[in-house]
Amino acid sequence: MIVILLKGVSVLGFIAFSAMFLIWLERKVSAKIQNRMGPMMTGFHGSLQPVADTIKLLLKEDIVPQGVDFITWWLAPFFVTVPVVMAFLVIPFSSKWIALDLNVGVLYICSVTSICVLGIFMAGWGSNNKYSLLGGMRSAAQIISYEVPLLLSVLLVVMQSGTMSMQGIVHAQEHCWFIFRPHLALAFIIYTIAATAECNRVPFDIPEAESELVAGYHTEYSGMKFAMFFVAEYTNMFIISAIATTLFFGGWQGPFLPGLVWFLLKSYGFVFFLMWMRWTLPRLRMDQMMSFAWKFLTPIALLNLLISGWFMVR
Amino acid sequence: MGAYSIFKGFKVTFKNYFKKSVTLHYPIVKKPMTDRFRGMVDLKPPDCVICYQCIKICPTAALDLGHKVLEDNKTKNITKFTFNAELCCFCGLCEEICPTDAIFLNKMYEVSYFDHKDLLNIDLMSDHKYKNVDGGTS
Repeated sequence: MIVILLKGVSVLGFIAFSAMFLIWLERKVSAKIQNRMGPMMTGFHGSLQPVADTIKLLLKEDIVPQGVDFITWWLAPFFVTVPVVMAFLVIPFSSKWIALDLNVGVLYICSVTSICVLGIFMAGWGSNNKYSLLGGMRSAAQIISYEVPLLLSVLLVVMQSGTMSMQGIVHAQEHCWFIFRPHLALAFIIYTIAATAECNRVPFDIPEAESELVAGYHTEYSGMKFAMFFVAEYTNMFIISAIATTLFFGGWQGPFLPGLVWFLLKSYGFVFFLMWMRWTLPRLRMDQMMSFAWKFLTPIALLNLLISGWFMVR
Repeated sequence: MGAYSIFKGFKVTFKNYFKKSVTLHYPIVKKPMTDRFRGMVDLKPPDCVICYQCIKICPTAALDLGHKVLEDNKTKNITKFTFNAELCCFCGLCEEICPTDAIFLNKMYEVSYFDHKDLLNIDLMSDHKYKNVDGGTS
């Protein structure tokens, strides 16, 4: 019982620390790419800026707009944050550091992260705001569309390793990381694009596009509820990076350094790539995004699955 | 072509990541102004010959000068030389007309004051009238 509690507390502590670190990293990476300095005054090179932001959000007034569907509106941040926290259950930080090594780990993660779309849709509907509703509906359509190629690429990894257990997939990469196999390298590219869309990151951030929809589905949220959406987004970013590390980059495996260090290096490296992508690429239009998912990515993923599967059983 | 342009974009942002920032870490690092920048009106009291040219040419009457003649009926001393920063339009005419370059416009650009009254009668004879005159690091 105590062990379970300790695991839970350590996961929550890691999420809090990781989200704050990623908020700082995002601001510094965006500043460096844009030839400016980013936060510098709060702490060493702005390291305490997320703490200041957290305190600010905690002290803000929690405004309840008139006409909101209260239960839907109030529950939405929880529907977005809780599944992301639940996904940490099966992330293998090292050979021993995994909260629970489910034999259906991959299925569990994919199912749990799909619940987030409910929260976004509830936020959009419950806000009594046309921009939020548009943002929520766009997000729901986007996430559902990109789930298909995401799952097809993950399925290929499961087929290659012969197991859905996250630790099992890491062990299957003992001799060669999956990224170095051609069909899985293509699956990785499909996964990266689909996971970026799942996370509502640029170039797929039309649901929360500041210049088009005010703030999209989280327009009407302030204070702690907005903080929950914010933390959920950055934690989701870490989750998709952790999954990419586990499925394609050999997880915690690596020479000399401890497994945990390798895992964190690889995951945060992927997070850096996501941030680099955000500050490089323009935003896609909704119709471009949908047609890309259904007319390009899904057929490519299906074809990859078909051809790789044929080679596997031959 | 589209995929190539994406990689080209990545290359550009990656290169920019390692370049030096074009912004300064103000107020720890301050950029000095150029030679002809017109800041606040300043004075070198020993060089002033009390000719009143700056008073006459100032279009907004921002300068106020008073003097007294000593007992030898020749030596003049400044009794008061004040500057009203609210009226000044920073035209630089006083600097142009001064025969001894005693009055000039310095390089100070941090010209906000907390109290309005502090702007009205800045004593140009004082050594401590301004801070951060050269706009450099404080």
